[in-house]
Amino acid sequence: MQNITRVYALSKRNVILRYKSSLIGFFWGFFKPLLYLFIFIVIFSSQFTSVNHYVLFATTGLIFWFFFANVTNQSIANIVGSAGILKSLSIPPIFFPLSDMISELFNLVLTLVVFLILMHWFGIVYSFKLLLILPCAVLFGLFSMGITLMLSSLNVFFRDIGIVWSTVQPALFYLTPIAYPESLIPEHYKFIIKCNPIYYFIQLARDITCNPGMPSARLWLLCAGMAVCMYFAGLLIFNKLKNQFISAI
Amino acid sequence: MGIEQEDLISLKNVTVSFWQNNVGVHSVKDLLVQRKNPFQNKTILHNISLNIKKGQSIGMLGRNGCGKSTLLRTIAGIIKPYTGTVTVNGTFAPILAIGAGLEPELNGYENISLLLSLYGTHRRNTDAVANIKEFSELDDEVLRMPVKRYSSGMVARLAFSISLANEADILIIDEVLAVGDQGFQAKCMKKIYQVKNEGKTILFVSHFPDDVEKICDSAILLEDGVITQTGNAAYVCDKYRQLF
Repeated sequence: MQNITRVYALSKRNVILRYKSSLIGFFWGFFKPLLYLFIFIVIFSSQFTSVNHYVLFATTGLIFWFFFANVTNQSIANIVGSAGILKSLSIPPIFFPLSDMISELFNLVLTLVVFLILMHWFGIVYSFKLLLILPCAVLFGLFSMGITLMLSSLNVFFRDIGIVWSTVQPALFYLTPIAYPESLIPEHYKFIIKCNPIYYFIQLARDITCNPGMPSARLWLLCAGMAVCMYFAGLLIFNKLKNQFISAI
Repeated sequence: MGIEQEDLISLKNVTVSFWQNNVGVHSVKDLLVQRKNPFQNKTILHNISLNIKKGQSIGMLGRNGCGKSTLLRTIAGIIKPYTGTVTVNGTFAPILAIGAGLEPELNGYENISLLLSLYGTHRRNTDAVANIKEFSELDDEVLRMPVKRYSSGMVARLAFSISLANEADILIIDEVLAVGDQGFQAKCMKKIYQVKNEGKTILFVSHFPDDVEKICDSAILLEDGVITQTGNAAYVCDKYRQLF
């Protein structure tokens, strides 16, 4: 119980610090994907007429992508930025990435609700199937947590990680079919996309929101497997390194 | 043998070491050419054994960089020892060495609420907030300002008041008294005596042997990560003065 209060206090601190002296503060969480969506619609929607409901297609990808990008970026900065607290209180270091995850999950749920209403005008079919987005979000959260744990603990010792990550991220964004349909990629280059784990999670989310029919059991299992493996790999690295954090921050 | 006789804190052969990293462009060259590991283990505390009983006040003296803060953090469980064991049967107030744990971008109230909840005191505990406000003598206007705009004395006032607000068994004071003005120093000293009379344990780090003699029953002298002197406060303070 006490630990829940502590993680909650840290999440609150993250949100206050992030939106300090910004006018609309926390609402940037869904204004950012909205702004991107607007740009995408203006540029691409006339190009990709092959996609049914392009807006819905792009929105699903964007929301999930922003969740991933925000969690990783914030946690990388958070551990190094919390040197003062880590040095003065005996608090498990994992609380810092965990608090970022919680504030972002909250943000994700809020964004999903807002967009669920907005998408009424863009061809979403309301049904109980949409509830499947929650387990999908949990799996993607677990996967993101694994990556976050890895990057944020390594970044304490090699600050290069943070710099490299902020450069690699846009590349990863365009490597994942978020703004464009998968069919645009020539057949013999498709393996590049298939190597990208994020692709499968976004595929799963799209099967729930815009494609007819249920997502296949194979896709569910694949995503669950990747999420669990990534999480435990991240946890392993984090636990190996956490005792030496204080000497390096 | 009552509970009074039991050790509140006990350290057995504790060695603490850090990875000293000299990561940088030159270290890549060293790694490739001389196969030199960029991380080296540097031992800060060697084989420390220490027993502190409930209600005791211990002073810690030593030159800058001899490992006093590392020892405090090891006792408080913030740093895990490399070898040896640390056993503690009580709770700690946060170590706010001259404001280290305060978040500079947050204002006074937000800092109070953050640290109180991180420490486990209930967030809505208005008594605790009122106590902190009263003891620190910082007014509403100051507490609404981000901590980065505070003077060092104000930071020390806030930090010390927060660490006192927790009903902890062990109070750790790490050179906090050095920056406050005379009035606040006198107030802190009075408070420390009061805490001591309540039967709480105090770990006191200071560079003023006179203060250590006033507050502490016994003291230790640290030199390069080794305890070289232990004993009653007056004796150890004398040894400390002879160092210089």
